[in-house]
Amino acid sequence: MRILCVAEKNSISKAVASILSGDTYQTRNTGNQYVKNYTFDFNFQQWGPSSVTMTAVSGHITTLDVTAANKHWEHPPPETLFTCPVRFVTPEDKQSIADNIASQARYCQALCIWTDCDREGEFIGSSIVDAAKKGNPRIQVKRAHFSNIEPAHIMQAVSRLGELDYKQVAAVAARMELDLRTGYAFTRFLTLGLRPLGGPLSGNTISYGSCQFPTLGFVVDRYFKVKSFVPEPFWSIKVSHTKDGITANFSWFRNRLFDRASVIILYERCLAAKRATVKKVQEKPTKKWKPLPLTTIEFQKVATRLLQMTGQQAMSVAENLYNKGFISYPRTETDRFDKGMDLQGLVRKQIPSDRWGRYANDLLNGAFQRPRDGRHDDKAHPPIHPVTFAAPTVLNDQERRVYEFVVRRFLACCSDDAKGMATDIEIEYGEERFNAHGIIVLERNYLDVYIYDKWSDSAELPKFTIGERFEPTEALMTEGKTAAPGYLTEADLIALMDANGIGTDATMAEHIQKIQEREYVCAVSRGNRGNRGNRGANEGDGDAPAGRGGRGGRRGRGGRGGGAADGGSRGSNSVKEFIPTRLGVALIQGFDRMEFDNSLGKPFLRKEFEAKMKAICEARTTKDAVVRETLRQYADVFSISQERFSVLKTACREYVFDQHGV
Amino acid sequence: MSVSATQLCITVQAQGLPRPADSWATSLIQSRNPAPPFPALVATAKSRLLASDWTTAGLLDANSTISFPANIASANVQQTRLSHNVYVQVLDIENLSKSRWEQVEELEAIERGEQTRGREIIRLPTGNDDNEVSDIGSTQATQALGATQIGGRQAAANAAAAKNWTHRLVIQDCKGQKVFGLELGRIDRISIGSTNIGEKALIKAGTSIARGTLLLEPTNCQFFGGKVEVWQKDWLEKRLGRLKEAAAVSDPQANARR
Repeated sequence: MRILCVAEKNSISKAVASILSGDTYQTRNTGNQYVKNYTFDFNFQQWGPSSVTMTAVSGHITTLDVTAANKHWEHPPPETLFTCPVRFVTPEDKQSIADNIASQARYCQALCIWTDCDREGEFIGSSIVDAAKKGNPRIQVKRAHFSNIEPAHIMQAVSRLGELDYKQVAAVAARMELDLRTGYAFTRFLTLGLRPLGGPLSGNTISYGSCQFPTLGFVVDRYFKVKSFVPEPFWSIKVSHTKDGITANFSWFRNRLFDRASVIILYERCLAAKRATVKKVQEKPTKKWKPLPLTTIEFQKVATRLLQMTGQQAMSVAENLYNKGFISYPRTETDRFDKGMDLQGLVRKQIPSDRWGRYANDLLNGAFQRPRDGRHDDKAHPPIHPVTFAAPTVLNDQERRVYEFVVRRFLACCSDDAKGMATDIEIEYGEERFNAHGIIVLERNYLDVYIYDKWSDSAELPKFTIGERFEPTEALMTEGKTAAPGYLTEADLIALMDANGIGTDATMAEHIQKIQEREYVCAVSRGNRGNRGNRGANEGDGDAPAGRGGRGGRRGRGGRGGGAADGGSRGSNSVKEFIPTRLGVALIQGFDRMEFDNSLGKPFLRKEFEAKMKAICEARTTKDAVVRETLRQYADVFSISQERFSVLKTACREYVFDQHGV
Repeated sequence: MSVSATQLCITVQAQGLPRPADSWATSLIQSRNPAPPFPALVATAKSRLLASDWTTAGLLDANSTISFPANIASANVQQTRLSHNVYVQVLDIENLSKSRWEQVEELEAIERGEQTRGREIIRLPTGNDDNEVSDIGSTQATQALGATQIGGRQAAANAAAAKNWTHRLVIQDCKGQKVFGLELGRIDRISIGSTNIGEKALIKAGTSIARGTLLLEPTNCQFFGGKVEVWQKDWLEKRLGRLKEAAAVSDPQANARR
């Protein structure tokens, strides 16, 4: 038999070839400089002794596009894009890859797909099948299911070949069609419609994406929340008591009230009572739970918070680590380890580390505990975990940080919870109740390796007994003021997208990157925001990230100020916050003010669509039904947007040009 | 006439409510012809009482409408106690545990037809977009809405009340005298959304009065329900404006910006 194997990237192809051949493969060049063909012999359970050609694509080899008749922006009108013919084509730069597959298929009886095991990978697999069938229409097709390139895992995958899942292929095809049609239609409509306003709108492409806009919507919503915030004073009562040289601070059960007179009344009654009575003394063991196994979304949130990188950077670093075989596939929703996995074996691989090797060793010598089980399982990939040990010398700085995090998280999962003793003392003072809370950490356990969590002893509390009466050393009425929330951080934004069904764990970081590239939003270092009170929506205008692709990308957008707010802080390590640009605000306000049920700046439409894609994968509906329904919804929004376009223009005049009431 | 007005008044009073005026009872009985069974008549009398403004002349029996002492609202008296039971109605309710601005944001979200559950933004039912909800994928959202659908948008504002929330009421006796009532101990049925404007209550003798404010606890007051429809409507309509104004007043910077 002759077998053709095709992976999603050359690095995976090479790794799998090396595993299957025991490092005795031969390398041949193809028409594409990034793709090699590796040939070797292998004895398949399925096909017996075979000679194998292992090759790869380089991501998608097809793309959906409109026909030449719809390429022009001015004609036919944008609404035709909802119904015009579309077709899959092979872009020029991918032609040599497709040709390689077709010509190799000619000599092979079977094709084995080794693309990444997620929806996109399934779709790429189906395009590979199409390309192969051009060379050999009768070629047999199998699919390998794997989630990392650790040799034993790959050998297991090759012994259990399955089929391509065409339901997932259909879901991706639906997504591509929706994105293409709505993206083109609204982008052309917005760009052409707003161009007459002049200024920065005359030359720029106003790009629309059905995930980008709700993402931008979250940023704009928070911006207005911060901007319109009204601080208010509140009052509270604090009681402290010193006994045996130790001071206990008690906090008020009511926490705080927004009325001074009421707090005075209650405070006076405390003072009038003179003595407080101890109502409850409770000491009980407490725990700080070890973290859950790592999902992509959790990984991105932590990376933006603790590893000083953006979600997208973190993902691409993680992908490199996966391609090199150091960690498992980094796109996963699963937060529970399969019962059959040899977790201790994975822990053992970390012993060589001079930083956490001792800890790993201790786990193997009896401290090992099964990880907690989360509630998510995508049935395709395990949680992100280290596959082999990577010496720090083989990694660059960013890779080192990500790898260290993945390993520490994994070792923490295999550890015991941190344990401590919590003390709660409740007193009644007048009619008011107060509470003091203390913690003593007894066993650090996972905290020793998971340096990202903090848990430490709180101040010690003096001994109290129930029924004890005392005159508090101090009882104060205090005053405070509410503070505005912060602008959204990337971790906040990812959490919002996740909760509202915008994008998938695999694509969120890209959408966040997109709205920055489109200059709808800019990232500013927290604490570097300067005179916040006077800030308009113009921060960072002109701080155009380099490399805006696409048509008509004239740089140097109008607007004032700009640049300085952000420029100085680039590369600093503080957390970044997102602030919308004037254009970003105008677009969201414009659509929101049109007042239809499904503003494009709200997450509802896209959320519904993401749910429908899931339904396609679970065979609860079909691609055709979903595409038809969803396109009708967006076409409705489109026609209302056309009708009320003046509302959007007014918002642009107001926010981009500072012209009010025009 | 088979039923005497006095009999009706005594029965209503026996159920905890203030005794209505005989003349009011008489005209109620006369307006019902043929006379309904006595229990139905009592029920009608009670529900009309609960929906009325208790300061209306000729509604209640003069002996059952003892009012607060004249100096009750004096802020100079640190502590005194109410010497007798007083029937009252609620004119206003505030949640002192939440900033006004937080409440403004909640109300504005509801006006936009949204509610947040954690980080998730939920679209509230408007009553006419049910058919837009497709059967796939939106089941989750539909379930989430189920609970709020019952009370409509208004109820959405009334999220689960916390145990340490502290409300302040403005209450009024039958002579029209107004006084603050502060929740000294949590009274579960008091909350914005469940306490109506015009709701009736009995403040019992012995209740503490501190600096002109009644200190309410579950043991010293009894709520009867009821509301005055026009007051409730007016209160709801103007609530957002009131909150905004109050928030701005408490923020000196906002004042300076004006």
